[in-house]
Amino acid sequence: MRTPPLVMTQVTKRFGAFTAVSDLSLEVPEGAIIGFLGPNGAGKSTSLRMALGVMQPDSGSVSLFGKPPEIATLKRVGFLPEERGLYKKMTPRSSIEHFARLKGLSAQAARARANELLDTAGLGDFKSTRISKLSKGMAQKVQILSTLAHQPDFLILDEPFSGLDPVNQQVLEDLIRAEHARGATILFSTHVMEHAERLCDRIVMMARGRKVFDGTLDDAFGSLGRGARIGVTEGFDLAAALEPRGFEAHRAPDAGQGDAWRILLPRGTGAQDALRAAIEAGAPIVGFAPEEARLRDVFVSLVGEADAAALVESEAGEAA
Amino acid sequence: MRNTFLIFRRDYLGYVRAWGFWLSLAAVPLFMIIGGTFALFAAKSSPVRYYAVVEPAAVYADAIEGEFALNDEDASQQARDLAANMDLSPEQHAALQAGNAAPPRKFIRVPAPADSIDDLRPYLMGHRLVSGPLGDKPLFAVFIPSADGKDLEYWSDDVNVGALRATAANAMRRLARQQALSEAGLGSDFLDRVDASALQVSAHRIRTVADQTTTGSEVTMADRAPVFVAGGLAYFLWLMIFSIIQYLLMGTIEERSNKIFDTLLTSVKLTELLAGKLLAVFAVTSTMMLSWGLFAFGASLFATSQIPGGASLLSPFLAAFANPAIIIPGLISFLLGYVMYGMIFMALGSLCDTIQEAQTLLSPMMILLMLPMFAIFIAFQDPGSPIIDIASWIPVFTPFLLILRMPHDPPLWEIVAQMLIMALTALAILWLATKVYRAGAVHGAGIGDLGGVFKRMFRRKR
Repeated sequence: MRTPPLVMTQVTKRFGAFTAVSDLSLEVPEGAIIGFLGPNGAGKSTSLRMALGVMQPDSGSVSLFGKPPEIATLKRVGFLPEERGLYKKMTPRSSIEHFARLKGLSAQAARARANELLDTAGLGDFKSTRISKLSKGMAQKVQILSTLAHQPDFLILDEPFSGLDPVNQQVLEDLIRAEHARGATILFSTHVMEHAERLCDRIVMMARGRKVFDGTLDDAFGSLGRGARIGVTEGFDLAAALEPRGFEAHRAPDAGQGDAWRILLPRGTGAQDALRAAIEAGAPIVGFAPEEARLRDVFVSLVGEADAAALVESEAGEAA
Repeated sequence: MRNTFLIFRRDYLGYVRAWGFWLSLAAVPLFMIIGGTFALFAAKSSPVRYYAVVEPAAVYADAIEGEFALNDEDASQQARDLAANMDLSPEQHAALQAGNAAPPRKFIRVPAPADSIDDLRPYLMGHRLVSGPLGDKPLFAVFIPSADGKDLEYWSDDVNVGALRATAANAMRRLARQQALSEAGLGSDFLDRVDASALQVSAHRIRTVADQTTTGSEVTMADRAPVFVAGGLAYFLWLMIFSIIQYLLMGTIEERSNKIFDTLLTSVKLTELLAGKLLAVFAVTSTMMLSWGLFAFGASLFATSQIPGGASLLSPFLAAFANPAIIIPGLISFLLGYVMYGMIFMALGSLCDTIQEAQTLLSPMMILLMLPMFAIFIAFQDPGSPIIDIASWIPVFTPFLLILRMPHDPPLWEIVAQMLIMALTALAILWLATKVYRAGAVHGAGIGDLGGVFKRMFRRKR
């Protein structure tokens, strides 16, 4: 069996009294695309920085390709940090070339690769333009290309979709799939669940520095159980109304007028049964939908409504 | 090593591709050329002016002319003294002895065109011209004895040019002395004879008997050149450190504000990153200083080539540069001093997010750098001073003062001990600066949160 690109074992990181990551264990097998999910401040970036050896854990261990993170093994890794940065006075070509050479490519190979990547990404006309003169999206593309230039075995992308418009988000999704098809293992963090739903075959969810879920998408949806959504006029406590009738209700992210509630359907019941119970309880219903489960709901069911609200805020911030 | 080179290459090319670098590179030679040309032009273009003395007996006029002649003789003597240190052929020496090496006269006496200041006014104000050896010109100045005979009045339209009046004042003093001596029956050249008979105080350098037999004991430029070379090297180090402050501060701010550290630190070790950056700034400042130095050296060679035997003026300095007893400890001090100061500045730069924050650090850094400058000044004047002895053991001063003390043959154990202290201090600063840099660059500590910096400095590292 091949050595997994990344193994983190009971890793903890504190900043003073604040515990950023607590007892995190994680294994990234070769060839996987893993989504690292959670709201802002969940500990995703700190975990990734520890995985790369940029930051040291207070306890626990990190193994990158079977060894502690060191420059020799990091040459097999491509890392896109959350806080994007390039030398603004450099050109896209020289920037990609510089980072590719730092990862071990020869001058000639690095230049050829930079030209190839820029042409493929539609930035061929901007090879010699200063990065300071490029748009934010273009500069971000250049940084992503810098991460891929040395054709790494393992890609760690911290919030790669952040700051990209929908068109470029799709371009990046395609790029990630292409890298995966080439054979690269991919671990990316995001707080936008839809990206993970589309790309990942496994997800790891974090909340308040702790891992709250680690499994496949099927596992995630399986853990959620079936449900239904009922909208009621604002202020009505549907949870209290349905509890005597054997249904558990949780507030769901608002999706229109009134308050949205998610109803967990006990085994042997259907969405229609939940609707009937709500009508019988005198709920002022304004909307109803049998639920098709989403990762967001899995997250809500796992971490509770307070952390789910943080996720909603993160997504809203991203959308803004 | 490869990574260090790549970081060095990127930073170095980044600096030299900036137009400000080329502006700085060109500024000094350009300034030297413009300044030199201007001085030469000012000296050459200074006009020759006519003056007159209104008196029937020409006593004052002769005294003033005599003073000009004495000044010319002094200038010629200085040129002959300088030539004595140059490898001139006997013919050239003879020509110099015979000829007048003084610069051309700028004031020429002409007969007074009138006797009263009212009648002289049109000449002095340029409305009328007087004739002289260089043709017709306005009269620049005139001397007229006052009515009571106690004053020699100096009249001119341009009283800012004081050379003529100063020469006349000296001439009048000399004339008064000569008259007093004659009246006392001592002869007008009495004081000159007394001066000539006084004991000369000649300087000799004590050497071993063997050295004295071969080189003699007279103090020559070869004795003084090592002090000048060491002084130049110490000042060069100071200037270089002074120049790198901004490069190192701004360089790290660029990376910090561009959020590039995480990307870099997954590609290179922190020590490689720091070494590459420090080397790049060293290379940039060296490129500038060496370019200026080469220009100055080329200009000196050109200037000395224009003077017969002038090359011999440079040879003692070149010999001092080639002296391993000066240059080896000098270079070691130079490098250790650069690393010490460079790392301090780079570490502080890593704590700044903005240029404004960095600017608040500039003043304390300047003050820190002024201290060695004072020490250099004192050491150049009096290298044996006890304060310099003590200061040379303080690591922030050692690089400069050790260089300056080398021509004075300090005890070997002192040189070795001071170099050791410098090396240990440089290592300690490297260790500490790496911690500060990591705290600033990786953990985001800032200059406004020194407590946080301290905590983050001692976190575990890779």
